[in-house]
Amino acid sequence: MNWLPRFLNVWPAVVAAAVAIPALLVLYFLKLRRHELPVSSTLLWKKAIQDLQVNAPFQRLRKNLLLLLQLLLLLLLLLALARPITFFTPGAGKNTVILIDRSASMQAADIDGRTRLDEARRRAKALVESMSRGGNAMVIAFDDRAETVQRWTSDTVALKNAIDSIKPTDRKSRLKQAYQLAEAQVNFNPEQLRANVEPPDVFLFSDGRVLDESELSIKGNVIYEQIGTERAGNIAIVSLSARRNYERPTEVQVFARFANYGPEPVNADVELWVSPIDPADPSTDSFQNRGAAVVRLVPERWDEQKRTEMEKQGVVAKDSVEFTLELTTAAVIRVEQKLKAGDMLPADDAAQVVLPPPKMLSVLLVTDGNYYLERAIHSLNLKDPAITPPGQYEAKIPTDYDVIIFDRYSPQQLPPSGNFVYFGGLGPNLKLKPVTDHNVPVMLSEVGVLDWNRDHPILRHLSLSRLYAAEAVKLDVPIESEVLIEGTKGPLVVLHREGRSMHLVVAFDVMQSNWPLRVSFPMFLYNSLQFMALGAEMNVRQSLEPGATPRIPRAILQRVDANLKSIRLNGPGLSRELPIPQSGDFALPPLDHVGVYRLDPIIPQFERIAVNLLDENESNLLPVSGRAPGNIGQAIATTGGKSRLELWWWLVAFGAIPLLLLEWWVYTRRVHL
Amino acid sequence: MTSTAEASRSLLLDPAFMARLDQLDIMSRKILAGKLKGERRSKRRGQSVEFADYRNYVVGDDLRFIDWNVYARLDRLFLKLFLEEEDLALYVLVDMSKSCDYGEPNKARYIKQVAAALGYIGLVNYNRVVVAAMAEGITAETGALRGRRRVAQLIDFIDRLQPQGASHFASACKRFALAHRQKGVCVVLSDFFDKGGYENGLRYVAGGKYDLFSVQILSPQEIEPDLQGDLKLKDMEDNDTAEVSITQPLLKQYKANLNAYCLSLKEYVTRRGGTYLFTSTAVPFDTLVLNYLRERGLLG
Repeated sequence: MNWLPRFLNVWPAVVAAAVAIPALLVLYFLKLRRHELPVSSTLLWKKAIQDLQVNAPFQRLRKNLLLLLQLLLLLLLLLALARPITFFTPGAGKNTVILIDRSASMQAADIDGRTRLDEARRRAKALVESMSRGGNAMVIAFDDRAETVQRWTSDTVALKNAIDSIKPTDRKSRLKQAYQLAEAQVNFNPEQLRANVEPPDVFLFSDGRVLDESELSIKGNVIYEQIGTERAGNIAIVSLSARRNYERPTEVQVFARFANYGPEPVNADVELWVSPIDPADPSTDSFQNRGAAVVRLVPERWDEQKRTEMEKQGVVAKDSVEFTLELTTAAVIRVEQKLKAGDMLPADDAAQVVLPPPKMLSVLLVTDGNYYLERAIHSLNLKDPAITPPGQYEAKIPTDYDVIIFDRYSPQQLPPSGNFVYFGGLGPNLKLKPVTDHNVPVMLSEVGVLDWNRDHPILRHLSLSRLYAAEAVKLDVPIESEVLIEGTKGPLVVLHREGRSMHLVVAFDVMQSNWPLRVSFPMFLYNSLQFMALGAEMNVRQSLEPGATPRIPRAILQRVDANLKSIRLNGPGLSRELPIPQSGDFALPPLDHVGVYRLDPIIPQFERIAVNLLDENESNLLPVSGRAPGNIGQAIATTGGKSRLELWWWLVAFGAIPLLLLEWWVYTRRVHL
Repeated sequence: MTSTAEASRSLLLDPAFMARLDQLDIMSRKILAGKLKGERRSKRRGQSVEFADYRNYVVGDDLRFIDWNVYARLDRLFLKLFLEEEDLALYVLVDMSKSCDYGEPNKARYIKQVAAALGYIGLVNYNRVVVAAMAEGITAETGALRGRRRVAQLIDFIDRLQPQGASHFASACKRFALAHRQKGVCVVLSDFFDKGGYENGLRYVAGGKYDLFSVQILSPQEIEPDLQGDLKLKDMEDNDTAEVSITQPLLKQYKANLNAYCLSLKEYVTRRGGTYLFTSTAVPFDTLVLNYLRERGLLG
């Protein structure tokens, strides 16, 4: 809150001052009108005056004291005439809930060098100070989850300590849980259960950038205290991925996209750093600069018209970069934008991903013989593709293939997890099943393609309009499955996830179609294996979002040490010894800050854990202003929502009148000065 | 006596007070010779040989009257005083300048009352009494009066005096001293606020032939001025003005200056063998006459 008052009546007061102050000075320094008094003789009076002039400075001081008092009085009256006003935030009521946003965007240092969280804490403490006697308050801190840091209490010291204890995180903002927690705590307060009790005031200290605005509701008077300025600038990495080329796994392509959330267009340098993870010494990081680029970013807040206009002036945006490099080992890849001046949020200036070591897909084809499929499998750069007849498959269910393709065969059992492609078959006990008529699958004859999902990675750049199948199984597709190709009489290709497995079902026998003769067939197979590879660690564990709790399978822990009792987690601002539970998988605690975490001892597949913000909503530092999040409650970031207090009568009552009395006293009693 | 005179006289002196004055007589530290034989005993060597008193030797005294026995004892020179009946001249100089028409009680009235009282005492004891009014010189004078028969005339004269004009103390004293060479008791009733200074005037009446009694009379308003604000003080005599802003320091300075002035006057008079007395018009004049003047040796 700006404590400086504003004035409603400035110009009349200025004019009055321009007249009154000089007039007072002139009148004061003009010869005083003196009352004439006859005396018997001026002999001694003149001598007294003469003698007193030795102490003239004190006399001047007394004379100037009256002038000073009168000037002050005049100034106060003129100020009152100008009708100064100030806006104040209503203080805490009887019951107050304090919600403080500690998400990533609150780390923006756009308030006189202090972060938004510092400002929120400051204002919250001021609110606590304004609590009346007997008032109660509680404090909830939230990011994408909510936490009660102080229950209902009237102890202002405890409340302030709780507020000070709130630490920033790099997590996103979700308000719904905070509101729900606040409501629950309110209901827990016996006072609130009485009838005719005013609902509590809920003070929300945030920049308003929450992801769940449309889902908010709360019983209470919400007062949103906007934190943050509209001039805050931020260049953020909003997307980062690193992908190994499926055909040449040592070749890595890194894609990064940036956004400018400031008010002005900028050019930013981008650097690529790589730290290979040496299998012999996986604990050591050694970052090397492997590339640089420049991005030209226009403000995200520009609308389309503005962008078009600027493009005509030659301001063309380039908001993404791509690097290609050779990596023969796993690595941590870091992309960083170097424009720090005016950047208020450092957490999104860099992002890192963990790239697993290059690996060729291992594929098993279960078939009694399929010339086209076998040719297609062998033409792809796979690691020892295997072909097995169904009987051999059923005799020993393999568990170490990345993808198993079933050709015209519905397996009786499947490995516990994996990626499966069915051509004219289906997996057992799946929710995705054929439509039956008297337990006989219904078949569709002469099926063409009605439409397909052109944006899906598997079908990208494919033309399927001339695909024709003589016969296809009619599928009962559950709602959670994804139909990739819709036939003229029913779905033809469905992607289904169930448990830890992914199932890509082609509802027809390719040998009963014209597909193998079309260009789209090998490409479909290529895309499918690539897509399946995402679930086969080709690009897995790239990065997590802040607050994630990665789970380490017990099997992997036991591979390190069967008797492992604890693991040390090291990361940004963190080093903790974590006990391992005696059974079940091991879940790490929430990783609240961006950066790279490491485990000691090194756990395979978890040598490094990268946590990135990569969130456009959090990186966009423009606070929500003029309204409360979800339009619930009143916003007091602007003057419209604050109470107006006229100060003129304060000036008169407590300034001018006492001064007037003092001046009168000085004047009448000055004989005693 | 006319009724007017009776009425006027009643304002200055009332009969009860006058009855009390009958008990008093003019005294003098110096026994002085008079022109006529009166009820006063003089020191001058004359027909009487009755030893009366001693006094300190001053330069000019007759060495034949030095008491050498006292000198041998005390190593100081004293003159023997012999008693001889002789009249005593009483000169009363009253300041009737405009500055005396000031104060509450009024200074001029006070002076007139004191002068009337002293004149009455002098007359009833068959002393030669002269009352002269001073302002710009001697503005009025009674001439030599003697005896009770002249009381009404004296009081009437005094009562008719009006304060006016500026004060020229020096010229008034000089003129008076030249006109009255007979020695006597000289009582000066004034505020002594003369911008020309009092020294030149007093020089004529102090020492020598006169036994000087200087009575400085001021009003309470002059002693403790109760003034406030920004004032233009106007001198009642010469219309001189002084612009003042009354403050505590100014008042303090004024009082200090007044004290210094009075002290200086006292020292001047005393150094010349005179007697100085300060009074305020707030002191009842009968108290002044019956008590203070008796204490100081003017009356007995």
